[in-house]
Amino acid sequence: MTNHWIDIRNADVILAMGGNPAENHPISMKWVLWAMERGAKLISADPRFTRTSARADVYAPLRSGTDIAFLGGMINYIIRNNLYFKEYLSRYTNAPFLVNPAFRGPTDLDGIFSGYDGKKRKYDKKSWAFQKGAKGIPKTDYTLNNPNCVFQLLKKHYSRYTVEMVSSVTGTPEDKLREVYRLYASTGKPDKAGTVMYAMGWTQHTVGTQNIRAMTIIQFLLGNMGIAGGGVNALRGESNVQGSTDHGILFHILPGYLPVPKASLTDLKTYIEKTTPKANDPKSVNWWKNKGKYITSYLKAVYGDNATKKNDFGYAWLPKLDDGMNMSWLMLFDAMFKGQFEGFFAWGQNPACSGSNAGKVRKAMEKLKWMVNVNLFDNETGSFWRGPGVNPKDVQTEVFELPCCSSVEKEGSITNSGRVAQWRYKAVDPVGESKSDSDIMNELYFRVKRLYEQEGGKYPDPILNLTWDYGEKGADGKVKEVDTHLVAREINGYYHADVYDKKKGKLLGRKGELCKTFGHLQADGSTSAGNWLYTQSYIQKGAKTINMMARRSTKDPTGLGLYPEWAWAWPVNRRILYNRASVDVNGKAWNPKKAVIRWNAATGKWTGDVPDGGAPPLNQAKGTLPFIMKPDGVGSVFGPGRADGPFPEHYEPLECPVQENPMSKKHRINPTVKLFFDVKGPHDEPVKEGGLAEDTFLTCDVRYPYVATTYRVSEHWQTGVLTRHQPWLLEMVPQQFVEMSHELAAEKEIRNGDPVTVSSARGKVLAYAMVTSRFRPFKVAASTVHQVGLPWCFGWQYPEKGDQGDSSNLLTPTIGDANTMIPETKAFMVNVEKA
Amino acid sequence: MATVKEYYQSQPRGMKILFALVGIGLLTILVRLATGLGATTNLSDDVPWGLWIAVDVLCGVALAAGGFSVAAAVYIFNMKKYRPIVRPAVLTAFIGYLVVVFGLFVDIGKPFSFWHPLVMWNYHSIMFEIVWCITLYTAVLALEFAPAFLERFKWEKTLNVLKKFIYPLVIAGIVLSYLHQSSLGALFLIVPQKLNHLWYSPIIPQLFFLSAIALGLAMVSLESIMGSRVFKREYEMGILQGLTKGVAIVLAIYLVVKIADLAVRGSLPLVFTSGAASFFFITEMLVGVLIPLALFARKQTRESVNGILTASSFVIVGIVMNRFNANFFTQAGTGTFYFPAILEFLVTIGLISLAILLYRLAVTYLPVFPEAERT
Amino acid sequence: MTTNNKTSKGVLVDLTRCIGCRGCQIACKSWNERSTKDTVMSGVFTNPPKLNSETYTHINYIEQPQDSGQAWHFVKDQCMHCKDPACVSACPVNALEKTSTGPVVYHYSRCIGCRYCMIACPFQIPKYEWEKALTPWVQKCTFCSERIANELVPACIKVCPTQVMHYGTLEEVLREAKKRQQDSPGRYHDRIYGEKEAGGTAWVYLSSVPFEQLGFNVNIPDVQLPSLTWASLNKIPATVGGFVVALSLIAWFRNRGSKGEQSAQGKEK
Ligand SMILES: Nc1nc2c(c(=O)[nH]1)N[C@H]1C(S)=C(S)[C@@H](COP(=O)(O)OP(=O)(O)OC[C@H]3O[C@@H](n4cnc5c(=O)[nH]c(N)nc54)[C@H](O)[C@@H]3O)O[C@H]1N2
Ligand SMILES: Nc1nc2c(c(=O)[nH]1)N[C@H]1C(S)=C(S)[C@@H](COP(=O)(O)OP(=O)(O)OC[C@H]3O[C@@H](n4cnc5c(=O)[nH]c(N)nc54)[C@H](O)[C@@H]3O)O[C@H]1N2
Ligand code: SF4
Ligand code: SF4
Ligand code: SF4
Ligand code: SF4
Ligand code: SF4
Ligand SMILES: [Mo]
Repeated sequence: MTNHWIDIRNADVILAMGGNPAENHPISMKWVLWAMERGAKLISADPRFTRTSARADVYAPLRSGTDIAFLGGMINYIIRNNLYFKEYLSRYTNAPFLVNPAFRGPTDLDGIFSGYDGKKRKYDKKSWAFQKGAKGIPKTDYTLNNPNCVFQLLKKHYSRYTVEMVSSVTGTPEDKLREVYRLYASTGKPDKAGTVMYAMGWTQHTVGTQNIRAMTIIQFLLGNMGIAGGGVNALRGESNVQGSTDHGILFHILPGYLPVPKASLTDLKTYIEKTTPKANDPKSVNWWKNKGKYITSYLKAVYGDNATKKNDFGYAWLPKLDDGMNMSWLMLFDAMFKGQFEGFFAWGQNPACSGSNAGKVRKAMEKLKWMVNVNLFDNETGSFWRGPGVNPKDVQTEVFELPCCSSVEKEGSITNSGRVAQWRYKAVDPVGESKSDSDIMNELYFRVKRLYEQEGGKYPDPILNLTWDYGEKGADGKVKEVDTHLVAREINGYYHADVYDKKKGKLLGRKGELCKTFGHLQADGSTSAGNWLYTQSYIQKGAKTINMMARRSTKDPTGLGLYPEWAWAWPVNRRILYNRASVDVNGKAWNPKKAVIRWNAATGKWTGDVPDGGAPPLNQAKGTLPFIMKPDGVGSVFGPGRADGPFPEHYEPLECPVQENPMSKKHRINPTVKLFFDVKGPHDEPVKEGGLAEDTFLTCDVRYPYVATTYRVSEHWQTGVLTRHQPWLLEMVPQQFVEMSHELAAEKEIRNGDPVTVSSARGKVLAYAMVTSRFRPFKVAASTVHQVGLPWCFGWQYPEKGDQGDSSNLLTPTIGDANTMIPETKAFMVNVEKA
Repeated sequence: MATVKEYYQSQPRGMKILFALVGIGLLTILVRLATGLGATTNLSDDVPWGLWIAVDVLCGVALAAGGFSVAAAVYIFNMKKYRPIVRPAVLTAFIGYLVVVFGLFVDIGKPFSFWHPLVMWNYHSIMFEIVWCITLYTAVLALEFAPAFLERFKWEKTLNVLKKFIYPLVIAGIVLSYLHQSSLGALFLIVPQKLNHLWYSPIIPQLFFLSAIALGLAMVSLESIMGSRVFKREYEMGILQGLTKGVAIVLAIYLVVKIADLAVRGSLPLVFTSGAASFFFITEMLVGVLIPLALFARKQTRESVNGILTASSFVIVGIVMNRFNANFFTQAGTGTFYFPAILEFLVTIGLISLAILLYRLAVTYLPVFPEAERT
Repeated sequence: MTTNNKTSKGVLVDLTRCIGCRGCQIACKSWNERSTKDTVMSGVFTNPPKLNSETYTHINYIEQPQDSGQAWHFVKDQCMHCKDPACVSACPVNALEKTSTGPVVYHYSRCIGCRYCMIACPFQIPKYEWEKALTPWVQKCTFCSERIANELVPACIKVCPTQVMHYGTLEEVLREAKKRQQDSPGRYHDRIYGEKEAGGTAWVYLSSVPFEQLGFNVNIPDVQLPSLTWASLNKIPATVGGFVVALSLIAWFRNRGSKGEQSAQGKEK
């Protein structure tokens, strides 16, 4: 979230699209309704009428996987009807930037951008570059009229996305599209705010990143970024998924979004040089210029005194990815399936049910020598060897189950979607012999370390050099019990020497003290920070340490619900990111009634939220641009960083109900996705034996004629391991169900509550029919397309009665987004038959 | 044991069957006590009152109405003609009430808390009133019937004492009966929105009372006829005709009041617009009121035993239907279909058999009928 | 039995705010230590399909196909805690009691299980523990009376993420309901369900659509239902007196001249 949960109440129009807040983020609806009761409008755009739709002012149905068409139509509508916020657009985004005249888009190239290499399925992005002036600063045309400027290219690109065209792709009635566009575009006025609440309905697609990009462009056009009640707001999922992403749980980033080193970045200097963006515009803060300080401080946190200038602060000890290597979910299980792993820690997850194409995942685990399941309960993953169709005798994998205690049995922080890190306390002692994850890791670390010490090994240094000061140590040198406060402090970071301000010579902090802010972090090894974004979360005032995350004040000086002293938000307690875009170049709030920050000319300071840098307003000599994390200082309407194009373009899902992409005849699917099964022809049809049988897909095939999607229900949590043991929750949603329209049910002679079989090219599941007017057939390019939907919270293991049906991921494909590789579990093709 | 066995074996087949049904009924009651209502009945949250309430309680009480009616006729109105049937009528009522007590005992969820209403008073509750009426009226009936025992066992002294109180007893019985019969109707006063207004009325207590008299008298006629047949006595045509006249008059009053009531409340159209309720209402009125009245209007009917038997049976069936309807249509709104479970039937059949059996035993061994007295 | 709107607690259920998350259903089970009954996916979300002895409250999901669009309503259902409850007046043993703070509470040790309360309740609320052999109890929402007694908000209200329920004195609750209707013209259907039904209830509802569309019984008269039986019951003393006097007189009148009972009977022998 660029903004935060409470801030939703400041919006005038709320678009819930690609997410279902009422069911999956119920608390957020408090703020949605708060806004609505003060006149805001809620739009829900979803393939089916959800509990969010039930509260919405406008509901627009759309076929799964067609959001770019839907949003592209909105971009076109905004531009054509002159509803964009020109002053904002021209000053705070790259709309006026001039692009290489060689750049061509799908309008000219029938579905692709210039530079495409069909063999590599990759773009050469040379033609996507900005034209640079003498100082290396991008050239601009603030009138936005230059045919090579981003705005004109944008206009041209989306001119194909007419309401009629969009409707024929998405299946949304034209009047609904117009209604949504008109309503949402009404937030293009300076004093109006529009926000979007999205989650997996947008991300879990082969075009997931571009779905969000499309919305970002809309927010720039309407001047909705950085303001109260605006922003692009991902409703993050698992309670602490924001925290775990911040702290580097993904394969390609270290804590604080520092890129994971590649093999070719052989030393720290190269790493810093190659990964630090440069900006020539003095108005651009280019915050990432500090990357060197952050990676060095990170290394200091990891290796402590063992990290010295001489040994490159231990950079060599960090694990490296081979160049071009991708170790995302689908790739991992593909490698596992191909026998490339010996062992696997399934740590707090249930891939046997949550993994797309779960049938393949389950088979992949059979190839392992050993597996460790760290969980509260046994689950379908820990018991994969005795799952349906598996003969335990045939499985050689040795499985260990490590009982872990639950979140209420341990202390620590969780970071919510709004980036607010909140400290939580232990409520009860762990049950039985279960241990917290950190204590399990502690055991593991100590034992691995001892083995290295005793037996040596290929490369013991990364392990032996780690700092591990998380609590009192026993005689054997092992930390007896992990003290999460010490972990939190390590994340915050310390001064490892007395640190002085380089320019003013002022003492910033003394050796051994907790570091006060990431502004103090150094590239010379005099500071450490486990995660630079969290420096300031645990600070020191004299001898007193203050856990900022444990703060609980409900003071709200701005009246906007920022609650600056409630816990602590990264970065530096900023509640609304890019908040310098909420004011005009003179520092005057676009909407004075909801001013996030105010420039006080007398004091030369900002009041309100913590601004993105304390520099004065843009038009002053020292003024800076608002988008400080962007090298150019402005928002990216044109996004050359993405793998699949600088502007979002509609492509069909891997499996779809139409023969060809209605927007471009030559490229049905995203041309840059990593394929697991070979395709041929302009319609990207599967090649016979084009890959593993497990990865088969079938598109526009009469055997699987219905679009399907998967989603959550309020009553269950994820794969249901935490909820399928709960009789109260099971009582409400006891079995797998499949929602379908009355029309489809009539066609298939299925009645409400009937057991049905839902099948795809990869598997089938039992489900109980829920015949509902909340699903309606779509009119897509003059033909009728039916869509069905299933939750994915079930598995074979619980409830024990066994009539609940297995995971709907037995149906989903092996394919991911071109940028993130998140699996496309939101759009695929199935059949439904009476069981 | 041997004597019991011998006794049993000496009985005619009809009696044996009765014994068996009673036995089965009692066993079922044990099962119900051990396993609960859910396991033995088809009752549910939607239909919490079923066969037992409808038959054992509502109808059992109504069938017993003959007792006070005849007693009133004889003692209060001094219609000596009916004296011979006072005892059978009181006996019927007494046994009817015993069945009711049994029925309630089985039906309430906590049978062994049956005494609670006697100590924990909520005089706002019709159910409270009913429990008290049942208790007191059963006691009164016992006392009213006691002379039969006392005579049989020749406890003259007690008998004489008792006889002194016969007027207060009869008056108490009539008052309690009135209260009780009408309060069975009053049970439904609290559900104006549930019970179809074909039945619901602010005067439903009075309507229940009236129909109970008709039913009670019809029942006495029936018993008298059956009694004569069983004991191969002559039919007491005088009494029968008198009873019949009584039934007819009461029915006529009932009909007039009922129609007037419907008319006054503007509910007449409901007779034809209430779907299933209309059907059951019309049937009930036809069977219980209109057909009997039509039959009684014919001289042949009034003068033939079979005619009286037929017409009385119609009255009984019709008014029993009325009680069923009031009960079930109160609970019909939930859309749940209720049909009693086999065990429910077994209990009800057992209790009815018990009633017949007790009656049979009483008339056999106690001076109930004038002939019996003479022996 | 009158409820004092100034001191007795009430709840405004504003259905326009409900998101159907069923947090209330769970919170109620949790606080009241309710267990579950077997359910299946029958094709609707409402589950358990009806209130039962283990479920004091649930959300009723009402799908309403419309030509112009779609609607899906979520209706929370529980005891209305009538101001003058039919169930209380019906109970022969005072097992049900309307407390001065608002909740209609149940004293299980008094109950005989006659189930007249179930018949009497106009809202079909009391449920029975049919499966229990020896100690079946009547079950229904308690308005979390123990919580109220300890100045806590009832569990379902506390947990609701969107503040569907507004809790306060009945007077204040009704005022709030009217205020919302006035402040947002067009948002609400004009009726406040429960304001008048059965003489008024402590839980009242606001909705955007007519209540009959949501499965509410709109045929419940405005009278306090117990008054209907009381009208009959309060005549009893007079009736009894009248009967006794009348019958005695008639008996005396009709029997004058004839001899005593004994001789009458003796003669017939
Ligand atoms: N109760 C509950 N809450 C949860 C979770 C849970 O399991 N249970 N999980 C948590 C987690 S980890 C996450 S990531 C979040 C996810 O939160 P959401 O993204 O809200 O979750 P989903 O239900 O997967 O998907 C949201 C909606 O996307 C719709 N949809 C499907 N395909 C498309 C499409 O192509 N376009 C659009 N616009 N919409 C589409 C679905 O119909 C669904 O209503 O929820 C979190 N919250
Ligand atoms: N078809 C389909 N598939 C999907 C999605 C979808 O929308 N559709 N959504 C995807 C998304 S967004 C997500 S986030 C993934 C989730 O996928 P997973 O993370 O694999 O699924 P969960 O069921 O959340 O598994 C979490 C496990 O952690 C355990 N656990 C809980 N607390 C603790 C703890 O404190 N410590 C430890 N060690 N274990 C604990 C739980 O018991 C549970 O088994 O699924 C993805 N899969
Ligand atoms: S389940 Fe927990 S995290 Fe999710 S909305 Fe409810 S309170 Fe918030
Ligand atoms: S709703 Fe029913 S159970 Fe609740 S107080 Fe009113 S009458 Fe009693
Ligand atoms: S079932 Fe219990 S609570 Fe209900 S009326 Fe009868 S005695 Fe009272
Ligand atoms: S008030 Fe208490 S008992 Fe009643 S529904 Fe709410 S939580 Fe349940
Ligand atoms: S907790 Fe609130 S929002 Fe959720 S279902 Fe209950 S009343 Fe509705
Ligand atoms: Mo997630």
